[in-house]
Amino acid sequence: MITEFSIDVDTITLSNSKSLPAIRVRGEIDIYTCSELRKTLSSTLEDSANDFLLNLEHVQYIDSTGLGTIAHSAQQIQTNNGHVFIICTKPQIKKIFEVSGLLSKNITLYESEDHISVPVEK
Amino acid sequence: MAHKLEVSLTIPSMPEFVGVVRLAISGIAARLNFTIDEIEDIKISVSEACTNVIQHAYGENSNPEKDIIDIKAYIIDDNLEIVVKDFGQGFDLSIIGTPEQREKSKEKMGLGLGLTFIKSLMDDANFESVQGQGTTIQMKKKSVNYSPAAVS
Repeated sequence: MITEFSIDVDTITLSNSKSLPAIRVRGEIDIYTCSELRKTLSSTLEDSANDFLLNLEHVQYIDSTGLGTIAHSAQQIQTNNGHVFIICTKPQIKKIFEVSGLLSKNITLYESEDHISVPVEK
Repeated sequence: MAHKLEVSLTIPSMPEFVGVVRLAISGIAARLNFTIDEIEDIKISVSEACTNVIQHAYGENSNPEKDIIDIKAYIIDDNLEIVVKDFGQGFDLSIIGTPEQREKSKEKMGLGLGLTFIKSLMDDANFESVQGQGTTIQMKKKSVNYSPAAVS
């Protein structure tokens, strides 16, 4: 079954009382759905966000189109030392991030939203 | 002698049909007892091949009624062979993996990684392209857990 694609945006406050936009995606991220993700990311970044959280816990599938979309936003915020916190539990999705080489940049994977309470060194 | 069973699917070269191909391909791969991880690799590879067609093969003024992607899956014992074919403009294969291709891909918000993913996730991958006639991507994967009873 294909879960219907949806995106929710709100704000998460970390233990150091820093808050960042939290984008939670459901369904499959591919050439069809990535344009919606792209729009959400660019409107989130327009609101002057440096860091953002992208929760992919309920994403069943992602390919190079989705990774490209994420990489594009990561690159945009890199000039402000911004960081992308990705929540991802599925081994297949972790694998595709690893194969892509994106993790050497300002993108880090976490197991759950609780784990990102530790601020990432810049 | 091994039977060569063919499953064929033709879709318009449009983004909304790529998910349909993934569903069909995972069903076929499950018949060969591929593991969940292997099925995932196959889904990504086929999806990347179709995405590549949609992004590059038929140019800016693509006609969805005419411009198609032809997907064929062949089951030969424990081997799954998938052929993704288009009849578009074709491209110069020698640019794959070059900085030039990465740049071109970035313009379309891609990573230029689609074909690289196919190569790394499948056992074998071949690309053939004829300018003005189209491109064929052929990929193979062997199922380690195959049992003949699964496909009969």
